[in-house]
Amino acid sequence: MSDDLVHPAATPAGTAALLPGPSGGAVAVAGPWLDTAGSVGAVRKGIASLLGGMRVTGRYVARPSTVVTQHYPENRETLRVPERFRGALRFHHDADGYHGCTVCRICEDQCPNRSIVITQREKGALTKKELDTFIWRLDACTFCNTCVMVCPFNVLHFGPGFESAVYDRRLLVYTLNGYAGPTAALLNKQADPDARKAACEPRDPFCGPTVLQALAEKRAARRKAAEAEAAQGVGLKSPAAFEKSAARTAPDPVPVPGPVPVPAPVPVPTQPGSVEAADVG
Amino acid sequence: MHFDPQSLASRAAHLAPTDPWPALGVVVGSVLGVAAFVTVLGLVLIYAERKIAAHFQCRVGPYRVGPHGTLQAVADAVKLLLKEDVVPTGSDHLLHILAPVLSFAGMVLCIIALPMGPHAQVVDLDIGVLYITAVAGLGVLGILLGGWSSHNKWSLLGAMRAGAQIISYELSAMLALLVAVLFSGTLQLSGIVLAQQEGWWIWRAHGAGLVAFVLFVVAGTAEINRTPFDLAEGESELTAGFHTEYSGLRFAFFFLAEFLNLFVLAAMATTLFLGGWMPLHIGSWSAWNAAMDMLPPGLWFAGKAAAVVFLLMWFRWTFPRLRVDQLMRLEWKVLLPIGFANLFFAAVLVVSGWYFFPTVAAAPVPQLPAAGSSDDAGGAP
Repeated sequence: MSDDLVHPAATPAGTAALLPGPSGGAVAVAGPWLDTAGSVGAVRKGIASLLGGMRVTGRYVARPSTVVTQHYPENRETLRVPERFRGALRFHHDADGYHGCTVCRICEDQCPNRSIVITQREKGALTKKELDTFIWRLDACTFCNTCVMVCPFNVLHFGPGFESAVYDRRLLVYTLNGYAGPTAALLNKQADPDARKAACEPRDPFCGPTVLQALAEKRAARRKAAEAEAAQGVGLKSPAAFEKSAARTAPDPVPVPGPVPVPAPVPVPTQPGSVEAADVG
Repeated sequence: MHFDPQSLASRAAHLAPTDPWPALGVVVGSVLGVAAFVTVLGLVLIYAERKIAAHFQCRVGPYRVGPHGTLQAVADAVKLLLKEDVVPTGSDHLLHILAPVLSFAGMVLCIIALPMGPHAQVVDLDIGVLYITAVAGLGVLGILLGGWSSHNKWSLLGAMRAGAQIISYELSAMLALLVAVLFSGTLQLSGIVLAQQEGWWIWRAHGAGLVAFVLFVVAGTAEINRTPFDLAEGESELTAGFHTEYSGLRFAFFFLAEFLNLFVLAAMATTLFLGGWMPLHIGSWSAWNAAMDMLPPGLWFAGKAAAVVFLLMWFRWTFPRLRVDQLMRLEWKVLLPIGFANLFFAAVLVVSGWYFFPTVAAAPVPQLPAAGSSDDAGGAP
């Protein structure tokens, strides 16, 4: 109905009312009720526009593929999260599980609310500066993407994980790196695979300084007990069933914080190098 | 095929003098049938509206309650029945309680006169069209009373808007109805259906029928307060309009009446312009007509009414709402002149006999067996 607002000049004589203007002269005012010229064209245009709208909505009805609704809890397996969605922060790990973090701490400095804390290894295996833990606090993060943008080595990215609900907010503190040790570039220079392994020390999502170490240990103990029970044949769960249920929540070979914050099913090492990084998961 | 329509009321009147108990059975059966029809159709329409609306908006709509959400409407109805029924302080209690009943009664009174098949009509009044337009006015009364008695300015504004809107658009709806009445030569709904034995008025009348159909659908949409003419509810400015203060069962009555008015409108448009329960006959093409007769009339009626309902839902979920002044301008400056011109054109067509297959309509309207002998509705013991 934008045709109602006809410019006074476009109004034919006799249909415009003359009102005194602010400067004393008469101003032609055209109201919608006065304009009859061009109304047939306006009606035709209006009908065409209505039919155009009906074509659009009719197409939506005729094609169920245009439905955008996700049947979320049921389609968890096939859920497609948009590429640019900012879910849980993650480390890039290459095929060997190595990352590129050099502990330059730019992201830590730039983080507006200190949701990133980086600790350095006391004694590096190959260089002086080696990453120990990269701690990310989901509860403090605003997902502003600054850390991802400032990282000179493209170590960080936001993953698709969004199911971050937990019963204890301390569980929202994650360690992102899969191992403590030198960068991928340095590790790849080592020809001897054993030397590489020796330079690394596994890390899981809950092993940082603020870790719920006790929780991780409790889970490990529970797992061990279940295994023992299963070995004796008195447990309700067979070992296979346990493995299956563990695999459902177990993270990738390199433990990165998944939607369900369950620690990797490896005991947290007490001595550097006591557990091999490649065994994780 | 020769159709011999007989309404349930006239059947009861026929039976009454000799077999009072079967006649009583017919009466009780039709009362229960109407009650069941109203309830089930209301739920089906609410579910269909939600589902279709969702797909118009790239959603899926109700999905969790029952397979594909089919039981959602039932669940909502049960919820409404269990809710507290609030009558606001300072309201006119009697009128507040009466309003939804009036709205609902107007709708049910319309439904009993609709011919849904040769034998599926409760009462076949010889002034059926007039009767339906008259009792449809009870709905306006319900809305006005509801708005007035609620002691709430939103309700009152919504009710006043509804009153102005419905009274205005009734003119156009009447002018469109009269076209079908002129061509059929009768006000009796079953007579109008029978007059379309050679073809539906929408295509037989050289454009007059089509224009009248469009007019009727537009004006009817405004009469039942559906988007794009839902100023009476005006969610953006009037909260919920006339039913702001209604809750629980009484809100359910308003809601049900609104949805069944949708059906009444579709059924009226079907009866008057799309041949009602009459299959798609074309003149004396006997082979074609016989092929069309293979589907039972009730199915034809249901299909046509469903198509019109779908069209109205399509309108609702596509078109933007009108402003109050645009609403009045559309009626008085666009629809009413078109309606008058169309009626005049239709009268010329009827007088000159210049439309497809004019012989049948010119023939006397078939009288129903019981119509002349006894009172239609009061014949039951």
